[in-house]
Amino acid sequence: MNETNETNFGNRVRLVLNQGLRLNAKQAERLHSARERALAARRPEPVGALAWADNVLGSFGGWGGLSMRLVMPLVALTLSVAALYTWQQNRVIADFEEIDSMLLTDDLPIDAYLDRGFQNWLKTRAAEE
Amino acid sequence: MLRVLLAALSLCIAAGAGAQAPVDAGPKAAPKAAVKPAAKKAATAKAPVRPTWAELSADQQQILAPLKDDWSNLEVERRKKWLGIAKRYPNLKPEEQARVQRRMQVWAKLTPEQRRQARESYKSIAKDKDRHGDLREHWAEYQALPPEERQSLVPSEKKRR
Repeated sequence: MNETNETNFGNRVRLVLNQGLRLNAKQAERLHSARERALAARRPEPVGALAWADNVLGSFGGWGGLSMRLVMPLVALTLSVAALYTWQQNRVIADFEEIDSMLLTDDLPIDAYLDRGFQNWLKTRAAEE
Repeated sequence: MLRVLLAALSLCIAAGAGAQAPVDAGPKAAPKAAVKPAAKKAATAKAPVRPTWAELSADQQQILAPLKDDWSNLEVERRKKWLGIAKRYPNLKPEEQARVQRRMQVWAKLTPEQRRQARESYKSIAKDKDRHGDLREHWAEYQALPPEERQSLVPSEKKRR
């Protein structure tokens, strides 16, 4: 194909494209119904969970709002709980340290505190006096 | 939001209050039959509880010497408690120091239930100490009672419950 033929072919294609697609009513109707069928058969996009998450996120004011309203308080809460737990454990250890020190140095031997009969006897005596 | 945070906080406080037991939960040795090989492997793979005996200062090792053999079986909370007792030790009178040395091993070998009972009894007797008078004398007097009489003084399980 020489240069003149190429130009002529290009001009003819341009003319056809410029004229547009001429369809009769029947063809148009078939194309329309085919499109409707294709749309109906299309799988629905899994937008449910994403849409819900987006709504939740939106209600917190986007990512910035989420970190300020939810993440920060949760971090603060976790830190507080950890501190509280540590404090509580230390308090319990301190209580045991206190009472165990007294038990270990007491005038009475440990056996006396393990003997329920002795405690009963002491109570009875004290009540009688 | 505030209500949710408050509810979570109160739950955590309740959980913390209930977490006292592990502090003196007793020896780590669970019933041997219940220990599965996998669990055993995981337990041995765990990092050692600190401070280890080697990490104690020379003074601490000297004071806590009666516990040397049991130290590796003590939970971290009990180790902390013993270190606290070792800290108080230099301020004790010589006869009290001797008592601590004598009783340390006995105390560490008691079951958690026995330790709990001893602490409760101590608190109860200490509360009425003035009323009881010389406790050492009373203890000697009680021990001089015939065994069957002493036995009759032990409250039955049914009564205690």
